[in-house]
Amino acid sequence: MTTEAAYPGEDPHRLLWNARKLAQRVRKEQRATWFPLLVFAALTFASFPVLRYSGHHLDCRAVPGGRVCRVYSDAEFVYWPVALVLAYVAIAAFYIRRSRARGLGTRVRPYAIAGIIVAVALTGVALWELRNPPAESLMGLNGMPYRLASPGAAIGLTLLVLAWAERNRALLLLTLAYLASVLVPITFGGVQHDPPWYSYPLVFQGSVLLLGGIGFALAQRPLRSPAP
Amino acid sequence: MTGHPANGLDDTVHQRVRLGILTIAHEARRVEFSYLRDNLEVTAGNLSQHLGVLESAGLITIEKGYAGKRARTWVTLTKAGQAALAEEITQLKLLISQIERAHTSPD
Repeated sequence: MTTEAAYPGEDPHRLLWNARKLAQRVRKEQRATWFPLLVFAALTFASFPVLRYSGHHLDCRAVPGGRVCRVYSDAEFVYWPVALVLAYVAIAAFYIRRSRARGLGTRVRPYAIAGIIVAVALTGVALWELRNPPAESLMGLNGMPYRLASPGAAIGLTLLVLAWAERNRALLLLTLAYLASVLVPITFGGVQHDPPWYSYPLVFQGSVLLLGGIGFALAQRPLRSPAP
Repeated sequence: MTGHPANGLDDTVHQRVRLGILTIAHEARRVEFSYLRDNLEVTAGNLSQHLGVLESAGLITIEKGYAGKRARTWVTLTKAGQAALAEEITQLKLLISQIERAHTSPD
């Protein structure tokens, strides 16, 4: 290990190849994609009892060709904003702690800030929508703004920011699939009571996050605990 | 200065370890001395020399502190460092394309 000679001794191919390899290694070592995915899977599954055991409202109104009904729980307007903000604080703390241990900076700040802003903004929009119910069925494209103002969309939209910050194509693909599961309406022919109306979409969305988190944890395991 | 891309190369940056330091600092935003030493496979003394060159050129800033009882040295890329890294990568690509053209063109 000596001090290397400067140009012209350096081969440009080798220098460029080394720089690219180093950049790739740093990006891989910065990633901890599994952690936010598992946190959000846990929050999604933990929302079952909150929705199940809290009081519900059923608001119906006549629209051309039938009725539009919305079922919602008061508790979800408390649970999700608080849970999401705490989750982003926990994720930021995890990334920063990991960054200090490894001696390598992290790009988590834009993700955590975007997450908190989106969570608060979409909760505000969801509350506004309660006072301004849709004039027609939510199943078509017209219902998209209403489906966007949901906790699942808040999680998905900020996962896009994480995919950008981590330059992670696999996460981008997973997030697009997750967002599709949130934004594409799933109907079982009206209001369901057995099993509860909210359970199918939540089980599906939670499972996508859980499986994604496990997959990333397995894929990133060698990097998290390198061989001595 | 002629139009040859080798003339656009900055000796401060055009060197394996120093280019590696700038590349890692660019990706990581902030990087610790020990991470650079381990990943660039250089001795602490050698790395310190290269960091000194880059700091003198205004391409990085060095911050010393403690994490608990352990001394830490953090390296951050400056705006001049970002520009120098981008310029070096551009010049390297240009140089490589000229070399490849010279190899493929008939004499």
